Amino acid sequence: MIEVQGLRKSFSNVEVLRGVDFTARDGEITGLIGPNGAGKTTTLRMLYTVLRPDSGRALVDEHDASIERLEVQRRIGVLPDNRGLYPRLTAREHVRYFGRLHGLGGAELEARIGRLIERLGMEEFADRRSKGFSKGQTLKVALARALVHEPANVILDEPTNGLDIASSRAVRDLIREIRDQGRCVLFSSHIMGEVEALCDRIVVISDGLIVANGEPEELRQATGKGDLEEVFLATITQAELADLGGGRA
Amino acid sequence: MRNIWVVFAKESIDNLRDRRSLFLALIYPVIGALLLGLLVSFVGGMFRGQSDSALFLHVAGADEAPELMAHLTLEGVAIRPAPVNPQRAVRTGLADAVLVVPNGHADEFADQRPAPLNMVVNATRLSTVIKVSRVVEILRNFSRDVGQKRLRDHGINPDVASPLEIRSINVGRSRNLAGFFLNMLPPFIIFTIFVGGVYLAIDTTSGERERGSLEPLLANPVARWQFMLGKALATFLFTLTAVVVQLLAFKIMFEVIAAGEYGIKLNPDISAFISVALICLPLIGFAVALQIIVATVSRSYKETQTYLGLLPLLPSLPGMILVFVPIKAQIWMMMIPTFGQILLIGRLMRQEPPIWMHIAVSVTATSLVTAILLYGAAYLYNRDRMIFGG
Repeated sequence: MIEVQGLRKSFSNVEVLRGVDFTARDGEITGLIGPNGAGKTTTLRMLYTVLRPDSGRALVDEHDASIERLEVQRRIGVLPDNRGLYPRLTAREHVRYFGRLHGLGGAELEARIGRLIERLGMEEFADRRSKGFSKGQTLKVALARALVHEPANVILDEPTNGLDIASSRAVRDLIREIRDQGRCVLFSSHIMGEVEALCDRIVVISDGLIVANGEPEELRQATGKGDLEEVFLATITQAELADLGGGRA
Repeated sequence: MRNIWVVFAKESIDNLRDRRSLFLALIYPVIGALLLGLLVSFVGGMFRGQSDSALFLHVAGADEAPELMAHLTLEGVAIRPAPVNPQRAVRTGLADAVLVVPNGHADEFADQRPAPLNMVVNATRLSTVIKVSRVVEILRNFSRDVGQKRLRDHGINPDVASPLEIRSINVGRSRNLAGFFLNMLPPFIIFTIFVGGVYLAIDTTSGERERGSLEPLLANPVARWQFMLGKALATFLFTLTAVVVQLLAFKIMFEVIAAGEYGIKLNPDISAFISVALICLPLIGFAVALQIIVATVSRSYKETQTYLGLLPLLPSLPGMILVFVPIKAQIWMMMIPTFGQILLIGRLMRQEPPIWMHIAVSVTATSLVTAILLYGAAYLYNRDRMIFGG
């Protein structure tokens, strides 16, 4: 389970997060959605321990990401915003490296790697060096290394960004599968259709604040709009109007 | 421990596949030895050729000084006719030197007045220095002998014209030239220490950040200082390899030089080279820690490359100066990383007995500074800015 409480963060006097709260439960897919620059990546980075909040807490299974860093890191699998590979390592070696960093090894690790390669359809390039991999191949490697330790919580930053239709669908199937195993999935996106197709819960973030939070059906009813894209635009516009009223530049 | 090992193993294998890392660790260190070999064969050949070979001298107006010519021939100097324009010939290197006997020389000589002789030389051409000095010495001897004979003819003891008899006693070892070459080793070795693993330092920190692989890496359950140490150890391994390769290359080069006929018998034995490698261990750690700190605080791969490209020049500078101006090692000098090692390496290469106190101080001081630097690097790795630059 992932909980975010009153998260605030500024970069050189620009307040990027202005108090973010939400919860992503086990056995659910939670979508964090918002326009570019809304604070999605910053929020996720605090959850996966590479950024520290100015105030507030980012909790994974009730461990604070900025205090019990290692405890949190053991419980999460991360597909970060940056998903660079090592050009001189093969796909399999990437997954093995991350597995070892999680304390895995031997036949058990190799078996897991084999299963992931099969599950993600990586057989063709598993033993090729990653230099020159396509976007889809790169993402599969990044996903495999994020999941090799079978984490209870999975955090994915824009997982289908830049993928073709077939690869996007494969990723969506994988996300559902992880949910069905009772694990917690939190992912960010700015593509409404994707969020609508996948999410059990939607958290809309805009300009560093949560402007809507609930199941898709709840949100539809609250805004009186039938289409989630309309819901999204409506919540953001309302937030911006409220903002102007509040005198924020 | 296991985590550090996993990171170390990954970075080592990754960089074994990198041509640039391999070049710096295996090929680059050999260049120094090759350069030294070339220099020795060139300089050694020059000295040998000039001191053994038959001398010849271009002379203009030889008819004016038949007695002198006879003396020169007796001393083994072959007389050759002078070029038309002696000055230009010497300036352009066509002739090493030309002896010009001016008109009227014979009359002055016969009248027992100082008879002028002009040696046209080019002092900027070092290769002619020995030849010219040999000719000048022969001319001086002739002048002295003739003078003494004239004094005797006048019934005067020639010794009264020599109030001083100057003897120089050379206490320098005959391996003076060899010592000069041996002094060139420390700067080469120091340079290698600061260059050998530099690509790993860049690749594993700035490179990792620029590739976007650092963010996923640091989300793994491993303490930041363990990541740093694993990467530092891989850099250490490559640097150590470079130093060992270089020492081997020097050893082989010395064998070749000693076997050759350069009159230079410089050949420190293998134990001296092993001692050098051991004394350099803490300094390698120092260099690696420094490189990682620079790579961590630099904003980009290119910036890191620029800084780390300049880094080796600074510590090898004192070594280069010591090639020409040797100094006596003091204990406080041993406390300065690189400076102490330069002096210690020089001493080992010259096969002088080791001063254990100096070695102990150098090793302790450099290890201590390295530990502090590594602590600083671990601190830098812990900052959020580590991942996103700046």
